[in-house]
Amino acid sequence: MSDYIQLAPDELLERIARTLKKDIGPAVEAAYPKTQAFMAAVVLQKLAGQLRLADEHAATSQDDLKELAEELDQLTGSQDTPPSLQAAVKTLRQALDTTSVSHLIETLYATRSELGEERFESLMGRVRVRLRARVDREMVYAA
Amino acid sequence: MSTVQQAADDQDMAERIRQYIETQLQNASDLRLEALERIAVGWSHETWLFDAHWTENGIPKTQGLCLRRDPGNALLRHFSDLGEQFRVLQCLESTPLPTPKPYWYESDPSILGTPFLVMEKVAGTCPSPWGSAGRRFYAEAAERGKLPESFTSALATLHTIDWQAVGLSFLGVPEPGKDFARREVQKWCELVKLSQQEPHPILIDLIGWLKANAPVTKRLTLVHGAYRTGNLLIDNDQISAVLDWELQVVGDPMYDVAYVLTDLNREGSELLSHLVEREAFFRDYEKATGIEIDEAVCQYYGMLYQLRSVAFWMSAAGLYAAGRSDDIRLARTAWSVPVVLDGAARALGY
Repeated sequence: MSDYIQLAPDELLERIARTLKKDIGPAVEAAYPKTQAFMAAVVLQKLAGQLRLADEHAATSQDDLKELAEELDQLTGSQDTPPSLQAAVKTLRQALDTTSVSHLIETLYATRSELGEERFESLMGRVRVRLRARVDREMVYAA
Repeated sequence: MSTVQQAADDQDMAERIRQYIETQLQNASDLRLEALERIAVGWSHETWLFDAHWTENGIPKTQGLCLRRDPGNALLRHFSDLGEQFRVLQCLESTPLPTPKPYWYESDPSILGTPFLVMEKVAGTCPSPWGSAGRRFYAEAAERGKLPESFTSALATLHTIDWQAVGLSFLGVPEPGKDFARREVQKWCELVKLSQQEPHPILIDLIGWLKANAPVTKRLTLVHGAYRTGNLLIDNDQISAVLDWELQVVGDPMYDVAYVLTDLNREGSELLSHLVEREAFFRDYEKATGIEIDEAVCQYYGMLYQLRSVAFWMSAAGLYAAGRSDDIRLARTAWSVPVVLDGAARALGY
């Protein structure tokens, strides 16, 4: 962001989006570039929303993953837990990122028969609560 | 690209098409193409419509033609190339299903830059159900009642074609049991991978669920793969041609039925595909095919369509991100992914 414009990045994007939608788009006659102008406005608006919430969402996501890792750590510490699942929880605890959550879900499905339905649902339920919270946050700017 | 440059390119393309058609019509003289237009439909292949006029043995002739060209970065091109589409249309020519007559397919890129096919230009229009004008068109047609019947009837025809007899086995025949559903899940997972975007964990959950709950296929039919308004040509309140042969497979007819039933294709409308009453669709489809609609299986395929949508949007956004397309509509699809996943999570119970 340039130091020479006193405007937050999300506000700048919103302003450009409004100009594209109200002034530039309607002035374009050819169908394809007209659609592109309006679509660019939509993209900039969504980007602005995402940018505005980025720091807050990133912090919440990290807290969520930390809590999930702690919960799962306690629930999978026993000896009857498949080692691959314990390893996936450990990776989540260390990485706290999307890749490790996805790997954990894959491991839960892969060890489902060993875990039994009740335990699988219980563990998956913990993960799903966090996934619901994440998609709710994403829907604020995506919908 | 500027409008002027585009016009010059289009003119050059028109002449190259004319030269190609001339080589195919060996007894023709005075060939000229009229009413040539490049239409903006879909996100996959380029489509050109035109009327060819020529003289043959002193007799003037006219034929409306449609040319589809692979631009090299089309969505879904990994699943169905134009050569396969051409072959499918050839197989369907002898069936009662309304489809465009295929004329020529060329894989040689020296002719028009990339592979292309030429088929009959069928009379009719193809209103998009995503815009207000299209929705009004289908709502009014639904009131008149003839088009909804034609919609269901054409699907019933498609599902009762003897696909083995007309030579469609080349599409691949699933093994009995759960093979068809598993193949489809695998296919769309591959598209997710090809997008080179990191999948959302809800998508991983959805894939896990789909793999664990694959239904047994009770019967195999030809499956269109995207049977909905917007992929059907309409003339005088009748389906004049089933288009978009890009995702066809031999598989479970419930896969198509689920696509008709899915909310994804009737946003803001009570009518299936913006056109057909649910009860009438069930009644007419079952009567015409003798196939009972299995709602539980359709629900499964409805979930698979959530995977398909996400894979499609991820692929589109990936093409833009990789610089293989400058179409901003593709970039916009990145924000469609959470919307579909929100629905998928609800369907999974959270």
